[in-house]
Amino acid sequence: MAMQKPAVAPGFDVAGGYGSCKVEEAVAPDRFPAGLRVLVVDDDVTCLRILEQMLQKCLYRVTICCRAAKALSLLRERKGGFDVVISDVHMPDMDGFKLLEHVGLEMDLPVIMMSADGSTTAVMKGIKHGACDYLIKPVRMEELKNIWQHVLRKKWNENKEMENSSSLEDPEHKRRTTDEAEYASSVNDGTDGTWKPQKKKRDAKEEDDGELDSDDPAASKKPRVVWSVELHQQFVNAVNQLGIDKAVPKRILELMNVPGLTRENVASHLQQFHNNVQKFRLYLKRLSGVTQPSSFCAPLESNAKVGPLGRLDLQALAATGQIPPQTLAALHAELMRRPSDSLVLPAMDHQVLLQASAKGPKCIPFDHDVVAGQSVLKCQSNTSKQFPQSSISFESMSSGLMGWSSSHPGMSGCANNIEGVNNIQNSNILAQMLQQQQQQQPFPLLSEPHHAINVQPSCLVFPSQSVGRTSVCSESTNLNSSNMVVGYNHPSSQSNSISMVGRQVSDEELKADGVLNSYSMPGSIPSVFQNPPVNFGPSTRMPGLAPNMCTPSYGTKTGTLPEHAVGRNLGFVGKGTCIPSRFAVDDIESSTNDVRQRSTCTFDDAEVVKQELNLDFLDDIKTGNPVLPHFPQSGFTGVLSK
Amino acid sequence: MAAVALKEQLASLMDSMYQEGLLDEQFQQLQSLQDETNPCFVMEVVTLFCDDAERIFGELDKIMNQPVVEFQQVDAYIHQLKGSSSSVGAQNVKLACIQFRHSLEDNDREGCLRALNVVKREYLHLRSKLETMLQLEQRIQAYDKQKN
Repeated sequence: MAMQKPAVAPGFDVAGGYGSCKVEEAVAPDRFPAGLRVLVVDDDVTCLRILEQMLQKCLYRVTICCRAAKALSLLRERKGGFDVVISDVHMPDMDGFKLLEHVGLEMDLPVIMMSADGSTTAVMKGIKHGACDYLIKPVRMEELKNIWQHVLRKKWNENKEMENSSSLEDPEHKRRTTDEAEYASSVNDGTDGTWKPQKKKRDAKEEDDGELDSDDPAASKKPRVVWSVELHQQFVNAVNQLGIDKAVPKRILELMNVPGLTRENVASHLQQFHNNVQKFRLYLKRLSGVTQPSSFCAPLESNAKVGPLGRLDLQALAATGQIPPQTLAALHAELMRRPSDSLVLPAMDHQVLLQASAKGPKCIPFDHDVVAGQSVLKCQSNTSKQFPQSSISFESMSSGLMGWSSSHPGMSGCANNIEGVNNIQNSNILAQMLQQQQQQQPFPLLSEPHHAINVQPSCLVFPSQSVGRTSVCSESTNLNSSNMVVGYNHPSSQSNSISMVGRQVSDEELKADGVLNSYSMPGSIPSVFQNPPVNFGPSTRMPGLAPNMCTPSYGTKTGTLPEHAVGRNLGFVGKGTCIPSRFAVDDIESSTNDVRQRSTCTFDDAEVVKQELNLDFLDDIKTGNPVLPHFPQSGFTGVLSK
Repeated sequence: MAAVALKEQLASLMDSMYQEGLLDEQFQQLQSLQDETNPCFVMEVVTLFCDDAERIFGELDKIMNQPVVEFQQVDAYIHQLKGSSSSVGAQNVKLACIQFRHSLEDNDREGCLRALNVVKREYLHLRSKLETMLQLEQRIQAYDKQKN
């Protein structure tokens, strides 16, 4: 008897992508979660067929597959093409748990296990391996109807994680929660089928973050404080002296003894400081998170507290071996590669880095070490490599920019890879930070508006050298529609500019197993990057990159560097500041001590940079953001492969 | 009317199958999945199930006939059969599979063979009833089509 391939369930929204959570685009709430894209893997064809039918009745888009290996390759080919995976536990060619692991690592999709074996031990094993749920056969319709909650929950938890690390203010939390609640009823997005929770959240957040003084009308009249390097150093010293736990704004203020500085200034700066630390912690957690998700905080904390110069992190973290050797090696290589007069990197840093590099990796077990390694190599060797044009949209840094190898654009879903990649990126970013800020490479994208740039909400903000620091802000990565990759390009030696490029990667590009997230930081041109902290929704086009810079969530609250690009700069109190172009640099160089100066940071301080480094890129690492949703245009219904 | 008679026949067949424990509520779920867009869904699934079950029996026979029986493999196949039978609502077959797996624990070849026979028997019994059911359904559908 012929197998009938069921047509797409009626009422199914083909045009839209499931996955947009934009409330404003919410279709009738009761449509949700129609269109959820489910991949079912089971060697039992009977069961497969039944599930297929059931899921279609739920108005989901179903793809069935009877071989785990085939399922994996399908998932890899169509990154972002699925929202949830349901897999049987016992399969002849691959253990369901293995598949679960792969999916979790590479695509970070919610996986629901399924088995005829309903024993407690089996279920527990499933949960331990990270399954979102465990269904016992025979599976009933009612159970399938609810699987969408796993998709959303996962997404929200990731958002929460990121948001928590970035801001602890209650009002924002509340707002966020409200936003999240709204997602529950959001539905198909007819336009671009992308999840935009990040964007929404960030928008909300930004409104709040925008003004430091928003809650203090009196303070709004005060001059903005620009946290110069010196000032920040004093701050850090005070914090270290007090001990991070005891570092309250009042005491810090007293220790700093800076006339004109207020407790509020210190308080907000402290908050960002904490945010950064936390972000970095999360980053490291992620790095090692595959096996030991929660092991890092403590050691990090103690290490993080004090370095000889009260430096946070870089050395300390390096010393703990938590920074993967690749990262450190790359960082070191970067440092070595770009000597410049204004690169003032204390010798100590080098040594520490070197030592850390030499340490055996305690780091994360990269499954894709090789890839990462290759990427690093590639990156370093391809100074002017541009991102390969993707079939969709592609931004590339200007030719002057050194590109992260972008031959493997990565889905952020690939956790392992991302970690590897992010290490590299991180190192690059740090390297960038240490570089002299020269370049002013006018950000190429700026002049090429036709490039579609989808900037991920993540952009690393980091201060550029003497003058402005290039900041890269990264917000939670919201890889949008299936293949959004934020590219980081290393600017060429000329430009400190970091281009942030988001690009949509074509499927072909994503084929590679090890996928890198390539990030390019936009070169910053001050005037261009004005603040609106941008939340890049996946579909945000970046007009010349500017708006995509940085997220003000980390942005300092007090000062504004009006002409600087958005971005968080170390030492700048103000809305995200980006280290901008030579143009800006000149301005900045002229005055370093003026509190009102725009950019007064100098790049001599890896640690400073680090502190300010908005570890938003961590979000990428978190990778948790599955690229939910791009509704594949080709209506792919069922694939039954034997 | 012939159609009515057929329908009655079908109904009583179904009742008896439920009562005997040949089928359980899962089968009803299958029936509810059948609709205009998938008018032959039940038949499709039943066919898949039967083909699969018979394939498994073939494999099991091979294994059991070997001098050294690989009980792990046997267990895997039975587990699979248990899964598919439970998915279609073939209750008795499922229960027989569960029994079989218990007897596997003894690693006793004879015991396994006996248990396997029980499973086969249950399956064959179910299959013949299902065939009758499907035939009735087809005839009823044919009548309905004729009417319309």
